[in-house]
Amino acid sequence: MSFALVDYFEPWWIQIIKGIVLFAIGLQIVPLVLLAERKLLGRFQGRYGPNRVGPYGLIQPLADIVKLLGKEQSRPETSVGPLFIVAPVISIMTAVGTFAIIPFGDAPHIFGTRVGLYGVDVSIGPLYIFALSAISFYGLMLGGWASGSKYSFLGAMRAAAQLISYEVSQGLALVGVLITAGTLSLTQIVHAQEGMWYIVPQLAGFLIFMVAAFAETNRAPFDLAEADAELVGGYNTEYGGGRFASYYFAEYLNVVVVSGVATTLFLGGWLIPGWHGQPAWTDPFVVLFKMTLFISFFIWIRATLPRLRYDQLMSFGWKILLPLATLNTLATAIIVVAVHK
Amino acid sequence: MTYLIFFIAAIGTLAGAIGVIALKDPFYCVLALVVHLISLAVLFMLLRAEFVAAAQVVVYAGAVMVLYIFVVSYIGGQNLSGSAGPGRAGTLAAFACAGALVAELFIAVLGTGLKAVGTGGAHVAAGFGNPESIGTLFLTKFLAPFEIASYLLLLAAVGAVTLARRRGGLDDGIEQRAPRISVAEFMSARPYYTGTQHETLGRPESLPEPTQR
Repeated sequence: MSFALVDYFEPWWIQIIKGIVLFAIGLQIVPLVLLAERKLLGRFQGRYGPNRVGPYGLIQPLADIVKLLGKEQSRPETSVGPLFIVAPVISIMTAVGTFAIIPFGDAPHIFGTRVGLYGVDVSIGPLYIFALSAISFYGLMLGGWASGSKYSFLGAMRAAAQLISYEVSQGLALVGVLITAGTLSLTQIVHAQEGMWYIVPQLAGFLIFMVAAFAETNRAPFDLAEADAELVGGYNTEYGGGRFASYYFAEYLNVVVVSGVATTLFLGGWLIPGWHGQPAWTDPFVVLFKMTLFISFFIWIRATLPRLRYDQLMSFGWKILLPLATLNTLATAIIVVAVHK
Repeated sequence: MTYLIFFIAAIGTLAGAIGVIALKDPFYCVLALVVHLISLAVLFMLLRAEFVAAAQVVVYAGAVMVLYIFVVSYIGGQNLSGSAGPGRAGTLAAFACAGALVAELFIAVLGTGLKAVGTGGAHVAAGFGNPESIGTLFLTKFLAPFEIASYLLLLAAVGAVTLARRRGGLDDGIEQRAPRISVAEFMSARPYYTGTQHETLGRPESLPEPTQR
């Protein structure tokens, strides 16, 4: 009996190295995103942003992390102990787990050994992402519920409703890509985009996916879960210190992961159009560059759009986005069948 | 490694199932059910049914249990022991049903003569249980049950919407009363003294008359 699901062609020690390298990359990206967000937000709002710690404020995220980890981990008296502690762990676990399947490149030979530049290439691809995002719901929900605070509870309820509402549209938006590519494996989907990136034939799907991604990651303009003007801080109101850092880290890692998924599914992953014989070492850099575009887009939107009202969010998700996603799926299926006949 | 994962998942499955019926607080019961379902998904994974495993997590843990959690966390936490027990006849019937189920399972399992124990398990072809093969089965061999099941779900959804509409909901018409702001309103001229301090503090007489923006 063995795992037949995943195509393991590497020896065990390479898998361990890969795990460490991927985790290290993920850990390094998140502070950079934090810094980029604060810097860019500053510029968008006509101020400097952090510029005191280190040259150009570059060490600011490091200082933030040290500050957060050095704080006392307080816990309200009304909280439910074990769940209060487990909830941030669930959040961060699912975020890191999803990061594992983003392909940073194909499987080139490095020093004679074939190494896939990704954690795993699961055959169920996007379904894996949705399964983990389903579990990440419990991170938010348990955190909000176990805090024993009204603000946390309301934030968790909003986050949960938002998550399951927009997950449907996001899934349907991806179905169009999957129909066009004819596979669920993320590396195969990238290979299927060698002629043309899917952002062109699947433009509607891409737009729906991006809107839903903003809601899924609880980012502005859909950040009602932590609407600081009305809910103090949402589901993580009562958290402090390292646990708050975990939630914060998971949120930004989710942004990175969604950017990676969008890059893979719509922007052709590591491909550069019109460059055949692209050397394998460029692949991760191309993917990281494209991810940076998406991350900057996330920050840009946060600086630009005001927060929606809750009923607007729900009616937009169910009455506009979901029918559009369904239409997109139907149209794609019909076109694919008609072309392949 | 496989055995280790199997035993962890099996313990999770059993502990979750027992927790559902043994725990007092309904919120923890639901959480135990979630643990049970996720452990089951891991077991499906070990049986190479990757699609079923993913669907299990997405549909049950990600959608059905979410609704349970919603309901329980809104109304839970109160003392729910006010409801009467099933009574003597109910308890007897429950034990009878459980006994019948146990007998049936024993007949089914022992009826095979336990021949499968000790072998490496059934032989599965490559690609067994992956999304392609399941999709093919859905659209060829099991097309009619698949379609009937989807119609059933559609009917359930439509029925739920119809029922919710007829009752009128808790706050009938609140959506109509909510202010709707269009882009045109943002662009058009604002009435005098709105959105300023004048609204709350009154208008001091000494200020000059405002001009139309």
